[in-house]
Amino acid sequence: MDTFLSAIFSGTSRGAIFALVALGLVLVWRGAGIVNFAQMGQAMFTTYIASTLIANGNSYWIGFVVALVSGAALGSILDVLVMRPLSNKKKTELLSSDSMRAAIPVIASLGILGVLQALAGIIWAAEERGFPAPAKQEGFTVAGNVMPFTAFDVFVITCVAITLILTSLFFKRTGMGLAMRATALNQEVAKLSGIRTNRTRTLSWAISGAASSLAGLLLTPSSNLSPNTLDLALFIGFTAAVVGGLDSPVGAVLGGFILGMVISFVTFYDTPEDVFLAILAVLLLSLIIRPHGILGSKDVRRV
Amino acid sequence: MSELASLSISNLTVKFGGLVALDDVFLKVAPNTIVGLIGPNGAGKTTIFNSISGLVTPASGEISIHGKKMKWPASHQLAEFGISRTLQGVGLFSGLSVLENVMMGADITSGTNFFKDLFGASGKAESKLRRRALDALAWAGALDMAEKMPGDLTYPQTKRVSVARALVSQPKILLLDEPAAGLGQDDIDKFAALLKQLKQRCAIIIVEHHVDFIGSISDQVYVLNFGKVISSGTFDHVKRDPAVLAAYLGTSTQTGSEKLGGDHA
Repeated sequence: MDTFLSAIFSGTSRGAIFALVALGLVLVWRGAGIVNFAQMGQAMFTTYIASTLIANGNSYWIGFVVALVSGAALGSILDVLVMRPLSNKKKTELLSSDSMRAAIPVIASLGILGVLQALAGIIWAAEERGFPAPAKQEGFTVAGNVMPFTAFDVFVITCVAITLILTSLFFKRTGMGLAMRATALNQEVAKLSGIRTNRTRTLSWAISGAASSLAGLLLTPSSNLSPNTLDLALFIGFTAAVVGGLDSPVGAVLGGFILGMVISFVTFYDTPEDVFLAILAVLLLSLIIRPHGILGSKDVRRV
Repeated sequence: MSELASLSISNLTVKFGGLVALDDVFLKVAPNTIVGLIGPNGAGKTTIFNSISGLVTPASGEISIHGKKMKWPASHQLAEFGISRTLQGVGLFSGLSVLENVMMGADITSGTNFFKDLFGASGKAESKLRRRALDALAWAGALDMAEKMPGDLTYPQTKRVSVARALVSQPKILLLDEPAAGLGQDDIDKFAALLKQLKQRCAIIIVEHHVDFIGSISDQVYVLNFGKVISSGTFDHVKRDPAVLAAYLGTSTQTGSEKLGGDHA
């Protein structure tokens, strides 16, 4: 029973972070039609920025806020400097097929990942370093028993809950959010309706960048920080997004929690070594049983 | 016409590669009138709309809006200039509710300051927009459809919704691209009544294949063929114009006139 509770708690906390990673991927997919493989490289980079600030005597919260803001900034910069020119129809018209054209930004995102990891290695050296948590990582004690739930878990879940509520309010309750949903549905008609789709695209990258930066800040206290730390998180987040439906933000969150539980139960009841295998199995099963994901729409696979 | 025109176009030429799509086209639309554009397929009717709404860059030509000469507008400037258009084949967003679709007509991101758009996009601004959208829906007689999804509507209903969407920005010039296409006679009559009311609020330009419909509602009609205006004036005038008869029928016989006045969808 204790193991079961531990698995549930750990799965919820981990799942919340993967939900964030998956949400970041879904936002860029919907907003720009790109699977952004650089996403957790961006998060790694901004976590390093926070780490440096904190190591130089600033408070955790300064590092926290700067990481989120620079996450949004880095996302926007990548879109404007790299993705926008690459998506320019005139410049890529020599490449005859549409599928080739759709693949270019995705390959570019892999390139960006490589550049960010190399840069981080050059600037901060490639050895692992710790990253602080703003709350205790020991379990609460109730009636003398140590519970499998920590203050940091509460912090993680609170952060993710706030992010999800804010994002959903933004999309449901603001004009800009409506414009972004419309652009995701049909870019051509959105353009004809006077939406500046370049701006909504960049905004997708910014929100996704900030969300993934938050995921980086929440993941690294329990692992360590190195240029490659967050690679696995991208893989898990991607699987979560596919399971939930690549074009559905709610699906992404659902997928995140499913993956969190799967990983947690495999870790507690089997062995952590099998986690990777379990994720692959989930990805494969999901693609066989429900290729468009739990909440995704059927005609989404373009790439 | 001493009155200041809502929209006036002269010497408009548009080329697609070597093809001349519009050749020295002119157009004048007075406030609170309905102007119909007719002509065979490929005559360049929709290209005129595309030039006005920033989807096509003219090779040459002048445009004046509300008597003021200006550059050809970009898509995102249309609301600013009081221009609104519906799209051929409706163009509603299938994943948004009818109300949200209509709200999209208000040109939410048209502001010059992106950050003002972003942070000014508060709940308050949104509920104001929502009310305006509901007003437009009520006006187009589609209020009861507000919470439905476009996929659940009948075709004539989607037409009403697309008009509501064009109205939400409170345009002074409304461009309607084939609004009667696919409608039955009953719905066309209703739609014509709606447009006659609408013209009290703005000038309307209609591209349409349905000649009877255009004839019954237009104050002025322009006939295009091969990118040129071959005739203009009242419907009674143009339907007797030999150039028009020739364009439509290849001959200029009297029976042609009857044919043109008859059902020509």
